[in-house]
Amino acid sequence: MVEELIEELYRNYLTKSYLRGYKMDGRLVIGTLCNTVPEEAIHSCGAIPSRLIGSSNTPSKIPSWVCIYAKGVFESAIRGEFDYITGIVSSTSDDTKIHLYSAMLFYLKPERHYLIQLPYQKDGDAEEFYKNEILRLCKKLTGSDLSEDKLNKSISIYNRFREFLFELDSMRGEEKPKISGVEWMKILLSSTAMLKEEINKYLLKIVEEAKDRDGVGDYRMRVHLSGNDFFNIELIETMESMGFAIVSDDFCTAGGYYPGFAGKSLDGLVRRYLSQSACNLASENSLKERIEFIESKVSSSNADGIVILRDRGCEVCGHQCPFIMEEFRDIPTIVLDVDSGVTEQYQTRLEAFIEAYGD
Amino acid sequence: MDWNPLGYKNLYRELFRKHLQRQEELLKKGNKTAWFFSFAPSELIYVFDIVPAYPEQYSAYCASRGSSLDLIDESISSGYGHFLCDYFKTTVGSIISPEKATKPLMPPPDFIVDTRALCVAHHEMSEVFARKFGIPKYTVNYPYWTEDSVRNVDELTKEAEWVDPYYVSYTVSQLKGLVRFLENVCGEGLDEERFRKVFEISEKTSKLLIEIARLMMSRPTPGSQREIADLVFLGFFVLGSEYALEFAEKAYSTIKERVKKKEGVSNEKIRLLTFGIMPWHSLALYEYCEMKGMNFPLNLYVNASLHLSDSSKPFESMVRRSLHFTNCSYDLLECILKNAKRAEIDGALLLENTGCRITSMITRPIADILNENLGVPSLILEAPQCDPRVMNIERAKTQIEAFAESLM
Repeated sequence: MVEELIEELYRNYLTKSYLRGYKMDGRLVIGTLCNTVPEEAIHSCGAIPSRLIGSSNTPSKIPSWVCIYAKGVFESAIRGEFDYITGIVSSTSDDTKIHLYSAMLFYLKPERHYLIQLPYQKDGDAEEFYKNEILRLCKKLTGSDLSEDKLNKSISIYNRFREFLFELDSMRGEEKPKISGVEWMKILLSSTAMLKEEINKYLLKIVEEAKDRDGVGDYRMRVHLSGNDFFNIELIETMESMGFAIVSDDFCTAGGYYPGFAGKSLDGLVRRYLSQSACNLASENSLKERIEFIESKVSSSNADGIVILRDRGCEVCGHQCPFIMEEFRDIPTIVLDVDSGVTEQYQTRLEAFIEAYGD
Repeated sequence: MDWNPLGYKNLYRELFRKHLQRQEELLKKGNKTAWFFSFAPSELIYVFDIVPAYPEQYSAYCASRGSSLDLIDESISSGYGHFLCDYFKTTVGSIISPEKATKPLMPPPDFIVDTRALCVAHHEMSEVFARKFGIPKYTVNYPYWTEDSVRNVDELTKEAEWVDPYYVSYTVSQLKGLVRFLENVCGEGLDEERFRKVFEISEKTSKLLIEIARLMMSRPTPGSQREIADLVFLGFFVLGSEYALEFAEKAYSTIKERVKKKEGVSNEKIRLLTFGIMPWHSLALYEYCEMKGMNFPLNLYVNASLHLSDSSKPFESMVRRSLHFTNCSYDLLECILKNAKRAEIDGALLLENTGCRITSMITRPIADILNENLGVPSLILEAPQCDPRVMNIERAKTQIEAFAESLM
């Protein structure tokens, strides 16, 4: 039953049937480019925030060496694959996201758009500034002021969503994981393609039913996956078929996306987003915060090893990888460059890794 | 006449001599050393008597001396990404393996100042360097300007018809935070009189540099990009120094005289716009083009380094510095058209600096806007600024020649 629910969600993700339905109902679907975008605020304006994930990897208008995520989104966008979105919102979290936003404005001319200026400091001035950014975002997208009542309702919906994900993520970390890496990634990807109140209905059932699962105990090695805007299900499938149990991750499209509950009101939302540290460069001590985040994930999931899935075009991975390797030198760690997208190429190295450190 | 440069070489030599002399004297006195990046508010270096070092300039130096290859390889083999800024890879390579780096090395920093006036990469680099040296850093978070925050920016002066005062005010508050940080790390309060004088120098120098860039658009093109390219050192790093002002006065007078006489750098056949960080390992490429009559009256990269400093509004001036088109959303790119028209360009040579997301992602939109608005075609070359292996110089020459033929 869990399997069926997840497959139903994932089919919807692939077809974008919900998003297209929202658009047909006259609702605004806003494509977002980063998990630093406060979705709750967009949601409270009556719009549907949807993190864009592309399917193409053949760049024509942006350099071939930038990250897989940016290439995929941009090329899918110019091919018209995101015909259901009315607007785009990004933030100044990293250079690629900033210029991806700019390129999309330049070539696609979306009806509505906003770039959130993310403060790097985390003091009172920064909170005030970010609060105003959210107010401006809402005004720009809808022409109306943000409503605190509506925002509080949206925050509740998102917090409920985060609670479900927290429960499911915890089940991955059990001795016999009850949710596989593929299932987890499918749920997270699906969450980009429908309203959170809709997916919450599915998640309620999935959580309840997953609790009764026996879990998988015949794995050879428990690993944490580290990376950024990762969405390659095929690679996770390959790993699981080799005997890896994917017990946690810090991807900003998955394990790094949901942590942190927002308190009620705009102040609560601001504090949640400014304290988010999963992969956010735009912070005074992003490296330290990221290492601490990975440590907490590895520790809570009892991972025996770390697989760093490094996108060679990703500036976050590019700068942080040596420090992460150094910090986790006492844990078996392997770095795979994932820019080719061909999973067969990784098998030999993963086999050697699991032979060396797995049961 | 094959090639007739302005002769700025000696002026640069004198500029660098005075810069290094100041550095040496302050080091002897035990003043604090700091690393800064392009677009930082460099006037404050002179207000607080800081010994500055610039990873970007040092990396360019390593590229021109040939050591950047080893340093880039050192960085990659230490786990840093392939497709990061060449300046970062070269600098981090010089920290890991100083024996492979061109001497003199940059003095080790007591603190680092980074901004997001150009890129988040400066902030990332700063974080890595600060962690490696175990030192404090300060970040000034400038906005990435969009149509929501700015209108009609002049591509040279960076004066705008309108800038949202909200963002100016937020950035000024961070710059004031930087001043407090500098007071703290340097152990001295802000000398208001000194501050005023440094900005007066900065204003005079900035005006002259802007005039030089304007005069470069004359017909025939009066100077070579081999000498104009280094103006970025003044624009980015030493704008508040007296030796920069001396340089600018002489350089302006030289180019003005040449324009008056209608002398060009070569027998001009084609006028090209260029953009992208200069490939410091292969600057001779510009000389090669110019000797063949392909001149560059407009260098948008150099222009990005310039801004009109206003000593009556020093903090606002430091904000204005960030209003270059590479820090504005692409829907504001039309600001480049005015000077492209004025320079009467026939084509554009755009450099995609591998690893630099800022210059590389904007090259195709620049090519498209020039083509759509002026019917001007572009040639895009992959040209990392410090790694000559990716840019085969002979292939580049062939491509440029073929492009030039298509324009004639």
